[in-house]
Amino acid sequence: MADKNQGNIKIDIELCTGCRRCAEVCPVDAIEGNDGSSQSINIDKCVMCGQCIQICSAYASVFEEYPTSREKKLLERNLPETLTEPLFAAYSIGDLPKVKEALANSAKFTMVQCAPAVRVSIAEEFGMPLGSLVPGKLAAALRQLGFNKIYDTNFAADLTIMEEGSELVQRITEGGTLPMFTSCCPAWVKFVEREYPELIPHLSSCKSPQQMAGTMFKTYGAEKDSIEPENIFSIAIMPCTCKKFEAERPEMNTSGYQDVDAVLTVRELAYLIKEVGIDFNSLLESSFDKPLSMYSGAGHLFCATGGVMEAAIRTAYEMITEEPISDVNIQYVRGGQGIRRGVVKAGDLKVKTVVVSGLKNVVPILEEIKQGDADFHFMEVMTCPVGCVSGGGQPKMLLPKDNDISFKNRISSTYRHYEDQIYRKSHENPEIKAIYQKFLGEPLGQKSHHLLHTEYTPRREGK
Amino acid sequence: MNAFILGNPEKCIGCKACEIACSVAHLDISVVKANEMNIPFISRLNLVRTSAATMPVQCRQCEDAPCANVCSVGAIVHKDNCNIVLEEKCIGCKECMLACPFGMLEMQPKSAQGEMEFQAGLKVESINGEQQKAYVVMQKCDLCTGRAEGPACIEVCPANAFVIVNSEFIRRNLNQKRISSAQEIAKCRYIRNS
Repeated sequence: MADKNQGNIKIDIELCTGCRRCAEVCPVDAIEGNDGSSQSINIDKCVMCGQCIQICSAYASVFEEYPTSREKKLLERNLPETLTEPLFAAYSIGDLPKVKEALANSAKFTMVQCAPAVRVSIAEEFGMPLGSLVPGKLAAALRQLGFNKIYDTNFAADLTIMEEGSELVQRITEGGTLPMFTSCCPAWVKFVEREYPELIPHLSSCKSPQQMAGTMFKTYGAEKDSIEPENIFSIAIMPCTCKKFEAERPEMNTSGYQDVDAVLTVRELAYLIKEVGIDFNSLLESSFDKPLSMYSGAGHLFCATGGVMEAAIRTAYEMITEEPISDVNIQYVRGGQGIRRGVVKAGDLKVKTVVVSGLKNVVPILEEIKQGDADFHFMEVMTCPVGCVSGGGQPKMLLPKDNDISFKNRISSTYRHYEDQIYRKSHENPEIKAIYQKFLGEPLGQKSHHLLHTEYTPRREGK
Repeated sequence: MNAFILGNPEKCIGCKACEIACSVAHLDISVVKANEMNIPFISRLNLVRTSAATMPVQCRQCEDAPCANVCSVGAIVHKDNCNIVLEEKCIGCKECMLACPFGMLEMQPKSAQGEMEFQAGLKVESINGEQQKAYVVMQKCDLCTGRAEGPACIEVCPANAFVIVNSEFIRRNLNQKRISSAQEIAKCRYIRNS
């Protein structure tokens, strides 16, 4: 993994032509340099969302010579030496060598988790139509790669909703800091820590689903399989480049070990599947391993903008009113890039919500909060254009126009998959009920608080 | 008159998106994701970056085309308002490459179905034994003739840095210049009074 202090997003100065299209999409103005000259990344500002990687078109031409050979560049990027695809100036440092090493080490017990957005995009890397939904093939590929346990981030998303929903209800009813912000997007969290440290108390103290899953693997999962947590190597497959940074945050070790040892992007997983010679498209569908894999449709929605809000509202509503919500489909939170405000009536309470997609769009709202003008209770923020389905670790399109098609298809697959689930609410997931009963106790209880919640670090003094 | 595509150095930002789009538009398969591109980008236009100018350059579709004039096998013909290479006729003698005053013709490896093509006859002798030799032909801008969306470079450019110079463009351009020329002349008292 990249040097913790250097970030994992890089620009190759030999390839960068200084067109600054990356600077246009960078939500935090972290890309610095003159027009026509190689750009550099201000690592203090960078939130590692990887959108620069997705837009970059400055490729290494075989008709030009560069001081560093392709072989060396592949090595610097931690990419397989057999890779034939073009290299671009903007890239993220990969984690494949660590994962391959763990898979080859018989002393290590590997537990892998997949984010919701992975199952609606990974098939694209094998030539299937944009947005193809392939949870079964994904599980089969991971099994064939030799991971010992195939678990699911979606389960942890349901767990997040239990904790975050309870936290929201507690803050509203007991007078905690409001509005509360979601905390599952690590780029958004880092942005708050650096640009708005005075607003840190607004962030939910819940770890992200990735980190909750990682903690559960090395505690509950270790117990279940009678494995010493120190022998577990925990891997997360993510649509996101910033998840690598999140996994390496020093406080993310509540299991007593680093909770998530390595993060692979969707693109990296595809390289691995190809390198091993697995024919993805003809794989017979498999399933994820019990118990840390069962999910409700609500947990799956985390990968699209508005999804965390929708899942949280369903659970928080029933926590407040102790009655079932009349319509689980909360249409107003769904949509594209931008801001969506709305109100949910839960008994006598009117819960006001804001959904923000695209990190740049949040700035006026944060200013509103600083001025004391905010009158809402809960805000979901996702850094990437339309949520994790459009993440920096997702398949890279060669032409920007294909991004719109892929985002649209991945989102429609997401909602289709949600509708296929037996349970629509996180708190109805039987495995979630079981894990609280057998292991965690109550949401926001002593054990769940210790394992599933975290703290944040101001990265600058308040403005 | 032949139409041609002209880059604008005032607008070009040097992103190379046009090279990628050109390359992808001329494949015989559909390639959407970076990881499906297992052969080099082979573009028919080139981004030039110097201290004086950053801009893409491509074929001028000359009327009295030196490339066609020197071709010994008649592989360069005029069709659909531009000069194209009949790849199956090209023997790779490189005369056209040397004759082009703009340096816009280049021998480039040919691909089929996303794989490099190799020659049927000629093989490479090497210490590792006989090896396949790439099939290299002349490739040049064909204005993306037959592509529904028009030229791929123009479509993809984020800086709107291309114009298609066709008879309509030239008519408009010349008319504008002639009008301003007439207006300049009209201002001149010496001529008016003569």
